[in-house]
Order: sequence, then structure tokens, then C-alpha cells
Amino acid sequence: MSGLKRMMLGAIAAGLMAGVAPAKADFWSDAGKDLAGVTIRGVSESTPPSNYVKDVLAPAFTKATGINVEFEATSWDQMYDKAIKDMEANTGIYDFVYIEQDAVYGYLGRDFLVDLTKFIAENPKLKAPDYDPANFTTFANYFKGKDGDLFGVPMEAFIKVYLYRKDLFSDPEVLAAFKAKYNRDLAPAKTHAEYTEIADFFTQWGKDKGIELWGSTVQANTGHPSSWYEYVESVAPTFGVYNWGIDASNNYAATVEHGGKMNSPEAKAALQFWLDLLKNAPPESTASTWDEVAATFGAGRAAQGLVYGENAAWIATDETKSKVVGKVGVALPPVEAGVMEAAEAGTGYIGYYDGGAFGIPHSSKNKAAAALFLQYIAQPSVQADWAVAGSRITLQGTYDDPKVVAQDAKTDGYYTLMRDQGKLFAGAPPYPFHNQLRETVAPIFYQAITGELSASDALDQMATASEAELTKLGYRK
Amino acid sequence: MRSQTVGWLFLAPTLLILFVFGVWPFVYVTVISFFHWNSFAADPTMRFAGLDNYRELMFDKGFLMALWNTLKFGVFAVVSQVILGYLLAQLFMKNFPFKGFFRTVHTLPLMIAPVAVGATWRLMTVPGLGPIPYYLDKWFGYEFLISRYVGQAFMTTVIMDIWHWTPLVTLTLLAALSSMPKEPFEQAQIDGANRVQTFWYVTLPMLKPAILSAVFIRLMDAMRTVDEVWMLTGGGPGSATRYIGLYIWRVVFPKTDYGYGSAMSLITLYLTIVMCWLLYAGLVARRDLKRPE
Repeated sequence: MSGLKRMMLGAIAAGLMAGVAPAKADFWSDAGKDLAGVTIRGVSESTPPSNYVKDVLAPAFTKATGINVEFEATSWDQMYDKAIKDMEANTGIYDFVYIEQDAVYGYLGRDFLVDLTKFIAENPKLKAPDYDPANFTTFANYFKGKDGDLFGVPMEAFIKVYLYRKDLFSDPEVLAAFKAKYNRDLAPAKTHAEYTEIADFFTQWGKDKGIELWGSTVQANTGHPSSWYEYVESVAPTFGVYNWGIDASNNYAATVEHGGKMNSPEAKAALQFWLDLLKNAPPESTASTWDEVAATFGAGRAAQGLVYGENAAWIATDETKSKVVGKVGVALPPVEAGVMEAAEAGTGYIGYYDGGAFGIPHSSKNKAAAALFLQYIAQPSVQADWAVAGSRITLQGTYDDPKVVAQDAKTDGYYTLMRDQGKLFAGAPPYPFHNQLRETVAPIFYQAITGELSASDALDQMATASEAELTKLGYRK
Repeated sequence: MRSQTVGWLFLAPTLLILFVFGVWPFVYVTVISFFHWNSFAADPTMRFAGLDNYRELMFDKGFLMALWNTLKFGVFAVVSQVILGYLLAQLFMKNFPFKGFFRTVHTLPLMIAPVAVGATWRLMTVPGLGPIPYYLDKWFGYEFLISRYVGQAFMTTVIMDIWHWTPLVTLTLLAALSSMPKEPFEQAQIDGANRVQTFWYVTLPMLKPAILSAVFIRLMDAMRTVDEVWMLTGGGPGSATRYIGLYIWRVVFPKTDYGYGSAMSLITLYLTIVMCWLLYAGLVARRDLKRPE
């Protein structure tokens, strides 16, 4: 190589380094200069995306800025308990908190959170060059206030999908046996009747073959609200019962008598369908929350099931945790007639679009450092690895990243499904009383799972109790 | 005069702590119990409710069910602990090989935090993983599923409590047995009393204060049990193990119904005091009243 060429290459390299990399590095170290040594504390639910923040992003942020991050990833109940107590008492223990999509309405109603749009606008020195709220997917809309300002930086977003065992669904012996029994080809269920048939078939198949295989997962914990959530968020909508069966526009009516749908025939059919699945579910189902359902599927104990998408990646690709790597198929949940059409028309939905954001409580004592951290995790450059690890996507551009495209192929197109069909799913209804209503009706719901109450009686009691509670809370007049 | 001042000065820290951590919270809870106060209500401010919260309690099926469950739990657990505790205390009064080792092992559960006890029992009973359902099914063909069968869940919480707290009763009774004078037993022997008579007329009356102490402590603990059961069953299945402490916790924290939860706490405290008083009156005071005769 001639001296001239060497000089030119050196100049180009120096230009690139000076023009690109240092600019980013400079911003984080410059912004962190006055805050170096500060420790910010956050609390979140222990999920694959949160654990990635704890293990990867938080240390990287500390390295870039000198700001320490104490990240507490705990159980869902504890996370809520700690965050709400801190914000209510204004103690300022946490500088950022996890805001699950269904909790944001309550938090905004109580004015717990800092308006991030305004805060960053008022502190231009804190504005990271790579942070652009326009990059977020539409999921960010759930975290906007009435004037469109953002109150939380989305950190995870996923859909609850229908996972099935692709290896079993393509096994010639299984296909032949299924065809012989039901006189139709085995394929992922499109309707509830098909789903039940498949569940029956595989439970019997497991018994006949002497293997630990059941027809379906069921998130039916009898002492934890996750069971109630599976019913209202993922099962009832597929029967055309939306927003928990409560009509907010009609004085928060829940009973059919007053115009609600919580105890409607569709709701009762939905609950009966779900309860009937228990006979085709592994014995741990009545002790399963969202985590255990994913573990059950990952252990190869169920042929199909509705599983939170945040677990899709590890179930499909992580051999250290999952026994079904390379055997996972992804599809849309089964629905009743007319429900898919309603979802496509935007008048209904077929399942749960879940996720959460990190927000800064007013009580935080380190708002500037926390704002930097939230922008750091919203950078496009950190998204792909995070999406691969936690099957979550919050920026539009992440879908096209080569790493995500490769992971998409390994997960049977989970990411493509989320991008293309995500519009058919919806987040939780915009109620500020989620916990209050859930705690009122869930104990009745558990009694339906144990068989102490029939599906019909349980829903009748739940609808009546809901209206009473909403009246007590002052929402229903 | 000076000695009085010094006395009060020495007492001051204790009184201060008692006021801050005992009296003030009690007064605060009492005041709140007369208000409607839910921070996620349409009107999140405190509104005077009079006796509404107390009236609502009387018709709250969930509260009454939790209370009944707690009483059942308390009676089953405490009676079993006293019987087992006595038998173990008698055993440890005798000499046998490795007695010291067994006595140490026997007290180990006392050193474990209730949350850890709950978590351990959960691991032992979770279907598909725990040894208890596995071996019950393998050896006896018995389906053990505490997340589905209410009776099994209830009895498992009782057994867990017995496992955790029987050593406390054993140690209490062991101390009492060790400090008993020999003379009454020798006298009973001379009088020709058999073992049952000796137990009934000599041992039991002398053990009564220790038994009562153990019963009071354990009964009060049972009335406020939360953490172990929370870890094991979460209060389920259905309402089978939703004991009063757990119910109050759910009302106060996830549901944020502070006024109603406070009323519930006070009523529970009142019922606990009444129960202990009745127990005391039935077992001790009546005998004391008879004594002058």
C-alpha cells in the first residue's frame, strides 16, 4: 500500500471516528459529567425484556455516563406494590418505575408521572441525539396524556399468541391418527371448537404413548389474578366480549340487565370453553401464572397454548431453557365467527397487546439522570439485541434489523406476525380502577376454576359485584 | 422529686417508641376506619363515612368467610401443635441416643423465615416438580393438587404451620416440664395414681400456665398469618386459604381501600382480644374464682 493511500485511508477512518462514534460517546459522557456517581433506582417486573435491561443495558449506561443504576426486577405483584407505595407516599425511592400498559390510566389519573416530552424540552442539554419519540411503534400511544405528551418510554411490547408444537403438527403418525379420528387435516385451530378437538386429541395421544403431553396450556392459577387476566384479555375477546364486558359509555354497566356483557351468553360460553380446557391441561395449570405457562410450553408438556409473546424467543431458540427449540409454530388465536372481521374493521380485537414503559415518578430525586437512562434504552442502536433476547419491539425500525429478521425465522415469524397482525390485538381498557375491580371479581373467578361455582353463576356474581364496586368507587352513578 | 425525673428520663425512649410505633398507628387506623378513602376512586380524597365501613363488614361474605377460615385454621393448627409439642417435650425429657442432635434439628424450622417456609412448601407441593404430589401419586395413586382441591390446600397450610411452629410449643413445655418439682409426682406415686391420673391431676395443672402462654402466642400468630400462606397458595384455591390477614392485605394494598381495610383490621384485633380473654376466663379466671372456697 502506497503512502498516499495509507494517508487517505487514515484520514477517512479518522473522519468517520470523529464524525460518528465520538459524537455519541461524547453526548453520554458529557451529559453524565455533572451526574457521575449518582445512583438511580428502578423497579420492574422480572420478565425477559426487564432482565435484559438489568443485565446488559443498565451496566452499559453506567459505563457510558458514570451514572449507577440499581435495577430491581421482582414479581408482578411486588413491583406494583412497591411502585405505588413509593409514588403515593412521595418517598422518592425509585427514579423510574415500570408502567404496565393497563396501569398507565391509574397512574396518569393520580398524576404520579413526569411529562417526559415537557421535561426533555425544558432541559435541552439532556436530549440525546438518537432519541426520537417518532421512532416508537403505535404502542407508545398508550403512554401519552391527553395533549399527546409522552409519560413513559416503551420498553417492551408484544402480543399474546397461539403457540403450537410444529413438530407434532407435522408428524405423519399424528396427522394420520388425527385425520382418522376427526376426518379433517390437523392444522392450527381457527375456531374454539377446533382448538378443543386438538386439545382432546393430544391429551389422549400423550396418555396412549405414555408421555407427559397435554392438549393445551391454561393460565388458571386459583389464587393469582393471572387466571382472570387470561380470561378477560385473551379468551373473552375471541368470543366478542371486549373491555372485560363493561360498557364505559353506558354508566360502566357490567350486567346484561344494565347493558353490560360481563355475564352475557357470549361471556358464559367463553368461560365454559376455557374451564373445559382444564381437563386437557397439565396438572400444574391451576398453579400457573404467565411465567409457568411459558415454562410448561418450553418443557414440551403442552401441544398448544396462548403464551405471552415476551417468552416466544427463548421458548423457540434457547436450548438452555427450552426443550422445544426449533419445534415452535406461531399463529393467531382461535376466534368465534365474526370476531376476526370485527377486529379487522377496528371494532373489536382478538387478544392482548401487552407491554410496558418506564416512567419517572414526580417523587424521583434524580429526574435528570433517570431521563438520560430512559433515552439510552430508547436508542435504535440497542434495540435489535434486546428484541432478540426478549421478543419485544418498541421501535418501528427494529423489525428490519438483520438480527431480528434472523430471529424471526427461528421463531416461525413471531415478529412478522406482531408487525403485520398486531393491529388485531389491543391493550387493556382505559380504566383507572384495574386493581380495584380485579380484586373484587377475581376471588369469585377462582371459585369457578375450582368448581365451587358454575361458569354462569360466577359471571352473574362477578357482574353484580363489579357494578357494586364501581358504584362504591364513584364511577358508576 | 429528682429520682422521679431521672426515672421518667430513663422511661422516655421506651415511651417514645411505644407512642410512635404503637399508639399513633393505632389511633391513625382508628380514625381512617371512619372514612371512605380509596386513592383510585373517582374522588380519591377522604370522605367521612361514619359507621358505614363497619356496617359493610357485617355483610361482607368475603370477610366472614376469611374469618371463618382463620378460626378453623387457628383451632386445627394450635390444638395439633399443643398435643405434638407436649409429646415431643416428654420425649426430650427422656434420655436416648443422639438426643442433643435431634433436639437441635427439631428446632431448626423456628429459625427459618416464614416466607422461606412458604416457598419451600410450595416447591414441595407444586405439581410436576414437587416430591409430595409425585410420591403420593406413585405410591398410593393419590392425586394431590393443592391448587385445585380446597380441602387439600387448607390441610397443607395447617400442616405447614404445625411443622413450622410446633418446636416453639415444645421448647416452652420442655422448659416448664424441666422446672417442675419432683415432690408432687412422688406423692402421686405413693398415693397409687396411674399415668393418666398423674397426667390429669398433677402434670396438666402445673403445665397450664405454659400451655396457656403457648396457646395465646400461637393463636394470635395464627390470626395474623400472611406470608407463609401467601407464598404457598396465594389464598387459593378459590377462598379456601384466604385467611383474614391475607384478605386485609388485599383490601388495603392492591385494592387501596384504606378506610374499609382499617375497619377490618380493628375488628380483627378486637376479635383476637375477645378470643384470648374468653380463653383466659374459661381456663384460668374461673379456677381462680373458685379458689377461695
